[in-house]
Amino acid sequence: MSLPAADGPAIETHDVRRVFESRKGFLFREKTRTEALKGVDLTVERGAIFGLLGPNGAGKTTFTKILSTLLLPTSGRALVLGHDVSRETDWLRPRMGLVLGGERGLYNRISGRENLRYFADLYGVPLAEREERIRQLLERVDLVGAADRRVEEYSRGMKQKLHLARGILHRPEILFLDEPTIGLDPKSARETRKLIRSLVGDGVTIFLTTHYMFEAEELCPRLAVLSKGRIVARDTVDGLRSLVGGDRTFEVEAYGFEDREVEALRRLPGVSKVVEEEFGPMTRLTLRVRTLETNLGQVRDLLPGHPELAVRERRTSLEDVYLDLVDEEVR
Amino acid sequence: MSTAHARGYSGARSTRAALRLSLLQFMADPQWLIPSMIAPVIFGIVAFELFRGFGPYFLTYAILGAGMMSMWGQTLYGSGWATGQDREFGTLEPTIQAPTPYLYIVLGRVLWNVVSGLLGGAIVYAVVVAIAGAPPALPDPLGFVVLFLFVMLTLAAVGVVFAAFYVYTRYAGFIQNIGEFAFYVGTGCMFPVVLLPFWTSPVALFFPPTWALDALRYASIPGYVGFSWGFWPDIAGAVATTTAYLVLAGAIFHRVERHVLEVGNLDHY
Ligand SMILES: Nc1ncnc2c1ncn2[C@@H]1O[C@H](COP(=O)(O)OP(=O)(O)OP(=O)(O)O)[C@@H](O)[C@H]1O
Ligand SMILES: [Mg+2]
Repeated sequence: MSLPAADGPAIETHDVRRVFESRKGFLFREKTRTEALKGVDLTVERGAIFGLLGPNGAGKTTFTKILSTLLLPTSGRALVLGHDVSRETDWLRPRMGLVLGGERGLYNRISGRENLRYFADLYGVPLAEREERIRQLLERVDLVGAADRRVEEYSRGMKQKLHLARGILHRPEILFLDEPTIGLDPKSARETRKLIRSLVGDGVTIFLTTHYMFEAEELCPRLAVLSKGRIVARDTVDGLRSLVGGDRTFEVEAYGFEDREVEALRRLPGVSKVVEEEFGPMTRLTLRVRTLETNLGQVRDLLPGHPELAVRERRTSLEDVYLDLVDEEVR
Repeated sequence: MSTAHARGYSGARSTRAALRLSLLQFMADPQWLIPSMIAPVIFGIVAFELFRGFGPYFLTYAILGAGMMSMWGQTLYGSGWATGQDREFGTLEPTIQAPTPYLYIVLGRVLWNVVSGLLGGAIVYAVVVAIAGAPPALPDPLGFVVLFLFVMLTLAAVGVVFAAFYVYTRYAGFIQNIGEFAFYVGTGCMFPVVLLPFWTSPVALFFPPTWALDALRYASIPGYVGFSWGFWPDIAGAVATTTAYLVLAGAIFHRVERHVLEVGNLDHY
């Protein structure tokens, strides 16, 4: 009950860097250095779901593995539950759960239940409680019917559920989920998200990575965006939304625009950004608008001679914000 | 609720769990039993022919030679191989992430391999006896079995050290194939060390099964002259080297587990 720093942050990192060195070739070995994390500072409060968003290769998995003691930082310091991840692994490991998504990471030739038994033993789940706890968990992840079938017969979604069950088997205080819904169909993904939300009710802190914006929007009151090894934003969903330009988004579609038309749109009051996308014969301009004074009529007036013109306004989604953030980083 | 996390691990329980997992995986896919049964049969036949005319106790020589050959694969190779499988399945990461030191899991698997190695030994015995038409003359059959088990345990200690390589790198299989050959020739698995060129004996000295096997030959072959000074010095040598291997394994594992976290190659296979 009296944990040190029990009310401190769940995660606290200072300038965490990670370099991977890999070698190519056999005789004349060529060393390549990849800087996966370039100084990550992050604080995550206890008792909620925190989302880490980022595109492929941003460093999400690397960061998750560092926090969950599977990888040492090259430099910097990371504390989880107030304990150093590189020095206090013995204290931390029984208290953390880790779910690395995917098809691997399970013993395929034995049943789901036996997989859970094995890991329950490694985690020292009290023997008297083991079977009952596994039964409850299987119910919770909806795998009761398949519990005694071999894992190799499971679908991807079922494997993912089993991964989750294993992650929470020992009742961790903090749970790391690396892309928990990757490869799941919309229905399974929704069920998985529901399950994740229900865990917060148990008082577990959840650190989740994803590259689905809507997932982060749905699950995570607070989140950070990681791009190329750096945190480029850290805020609430609403905070992030206001961070990039404004709250309104206009979409304008036609069979191509001339440069001076795009330029004219850019000069409209309150327009902070115009992104051009092609799809098929159509071109779509996405405008980020800061003020209320600019409206769709003005946009239409600037684009005469486009009988096919379609103009609409929609709420700025987190996805827009996210793409802007990641995009800015690219340039 | 949030403090209801597990108290932590128990090494003995983890070892038992690993032993059980090996058994379950075996039962799930028992077809490998066939190759692992064929090998001892072949070794038995070859050894019988090889040692024929090797004195009155040639049957015992044949059984020990072939028995060691088949146990070698089962006990030593099997231990590292299971860790290589953990890499391949992607289960090495969650296993390392669990609070139990990996060494306890390796111990469980080694125990399983001892059991399956014994099976190989039994097959060899049956084959040689069947060809000869008579059991070997053993001065002390019970002592023979006990010492046989002892040899397995010394071999298992080497298996634990080898398993560390499999945690260390995905190239362990390659390393082991080379290392295994050197040991194989050098340790007198097949032939008593005295028959081998001198250069092999230093290798043999640091290899626990050499001592144990020599002790077994002293105990079961009257008039045997081995590479050491007799039965008890052999036992002492076996215990000392086995202990050294286990201590080494403990130290190596601790470092290896740290090393892989530094390099970050746990998911490479
Ligand atoms: N073991 C490794 N050896 C060498 N480079 C690595 C290793 N692991 C990761 N990297 C590199 O580090 C960078 C970050 O990878 P990481 O897997 O953390 O990204 P990610 O955000 O999880 O991406 P994804 O969304 O695709 O899962 C990448 O450039 C990757 O190539
Ligand atoms: Mg990843």
